[in-house]
Amino acid sequence: MANPLAMLTMTAIKMYVRNIQVIFFNLFFPVMIVVIFGLIIGNGNATMNIGVVDQAHNPVSQTVLDQLRQVKAVRLYTGSLESERAALEKGDRDAVVVLPPSLGQSPVALSAYYNAGKPQESSAALAIMNRFVDEVSFRYAQIQPSFTLTAQPVHSRNLSYIDFLVPGVIAMSIMQTGLFSVAFSFVAFKQLGILRRLMATPMRVPDFLLSRIVTYLMMAVVQMAILIALGLLLYHLHFVGNPVYLIIVGFIGAAIFMAIGFTISGFAKDEGAVAAIANLVSFPMMFLAGVFFSLSNEPAWLQPITKLLPLTFLADALRSISLDGANLWAVRGDLLGLAVWLVITLVMAIRLFKWEVV
Amino acid sequence: MSVVTRPEESGLSTQSQGFAIVVDGLRKRYGSLVAVDGISFRVKEREIFGLLGPNGAGKTTTVEILEGLRKADAGRAIVAGVDVTNDPQRVKSLIGVQLQASAFFDYLTLVELIEMFAALYGRQVDAPAILRRVDLEEKAKSRVKTLSGGQKQRFSIATALVNEPRVLFLDEPTTGLDPQARRNLWELAQSIRKDGRTIVLTTHYMDEAETLCDRVAVIDHGKIIAMDSPITLIDQLLARGFRRRRVEREANLEDVFLDLTGHELREA
Repeated sequence: MANPLAMLTMTAIKMYVRNIQVIFFNLFFPVMIVVIFGLIIGNGNATMNIGVVDQAHNPVSQTVLDQLRQVKAVRLYTGSLESERAALEKGDRDAVVVLPPSLGQSPVALSAYYNAGKPQESSAALAIMNRFVDEVSFRYAQIQPSFTLTAQPVHSRNLSYIDFLVPGVIAMSIMQTGLFSVAFSFVAFKQLGILRRLMATPMRVPDFLLSRIVTYLMMAVVQMAILIALGLLLYHLHFVGNPVYLIIVGFIGAAIFMAIGFTISGFAKDEGAVAAIANLVSFPMMFLAGVFFSLSNEPAWLQPITKLLPLTFLADALRSISLDGANLWAVRGDLLGLAVWLVITLVMAIRLFKWEVV
Repeated sequence: MSVVTRPEESGLSTQSQGFAIVVDGLRKRYGSLVAVDGISFRVKEREIFGLLGPNGAGKTTTVEILEGLRKADAGRAIVAGVDVTNDPQRVKSLIGVQLQASAFFDYLTLVELIEMFAALYGRQVDAPAILRRVDLEEKAKSRVKTLSGGQKQRFSIATALVNEPRVLFLDEPTTGLDPQARRNLWELAQSIRKDGRTIVLTTHYMDEAETLCDRVAVIDHGKIIAMDSPITLIDQLLARGFRRRRVEREANLEDVFLDLTGHELREA
């Protein structure tokens, strides 16, 4: 391969994937965040813990239980009245329903206990129970319901924390890669005299810069793919986005943070200074921009500021695209914010980045 | 490896015929500091030419101008037939440079680095053959940071050979090396010259200059204060009446050291 740009790019990719530290921070770290937060904060939609005390022990009660087991949102427990009530009091159940011996011979009187501290979950659990018991009872009693209800499924945005988290972590890892990889490697290359040695060859500087930029953009795509795949495999991520839009927005975000990285490498004296400055930029942003938690939890006075952060625009756009299936026009507000940031950071990079060979 | 012969630039041919480097009235100043103050010299083809001088004398600046890394304020330098001030990129493709601090990308093997450097010259090379040239064939799959000091310098020279340069610049190539590795590097420099290349060497070791260089230029305060073959310069000094206070014995401590430890290279 005698083409300098192609060779430099291949070289940059090799260096990237062989650097365990970089792989850890850019790939493994975001993955860990998603896995750990997913485990701690919960998997998918809220599940309801329903305890059923089966006093009927007949085909009808058996069918009710079987059907309940099919419902994804329900975690079903069975036991005696005492044990289930005890579990309810401990907060381990959202509702406990007793299927009386007379089940299957209408009318049915169901007694239910619910957790007053969790009214939402409890009422949902009771509604589900009602529906199932009614339906099964009707079937077994051979009674035709006097009317039939045709339910139209509406795909509502029934989002979980993971759905919120994954696009945020994608935005975060794009930021980290752009900021740290660029700033660290350029300061190191400069310090070690590597750039000087390269300048003694006929290498064109734009080729070198481009090879690095292309590499980091490719890594941004890999990060997105890994995090989305992880969300889909482990946490039933609600992903309806167009990958092309995602990549376009990701590239714009990566360009902004790379420009900041180039800017930092322009004035940071050594790698220690890079670490300090890059962390100073990225750490507050990570928490203020709504990567992990919704911005609506922030104090009102802070919101006008955090809403203008580049990471906020990036995370919001990625979220709209992957969760709502938004197109680029639909996220034009975020894109405009990103465009303004891109101009600002590019001007900074051009002003402050120094190739500084001799 | 064969000698790269390129047609001489027509307008400069009369002046640079037979010379690898022609420097005429080179000047460079940084603010109020005059680093290079009107330096002129010529380096013949296939010569090993030494640039000597204390730190800050201006030799590094001079070399960097010749390598196309810095622009001169005044004067002219023709290297390998190309005017450096007019066409630094073209000069870079005709010369090889070994820098004092020999740092290379980490996470790449020696073969990969050689191939990368070759690509920067638009070339494809037989990387193992180039590594064999500097006795590093067995390290082909290693990384630079696993090399010993001498091996690093030899690798640095290997990267400077990928474009079959007419002129090779060596900047303090033996600083920090043990006597065995220094001698090994001297042999390498001499064999590269035998390939038909011209070598410009900067060094602080006078024994090195004496052993290797056909001619040396001594630079101080930005000016060349002496230029000739080492033996002529020594004779001139003696003719001025210089005598060493203590007469040297037939051998010195380095001879003792090498006799005790052998000439064999010590490399992990």
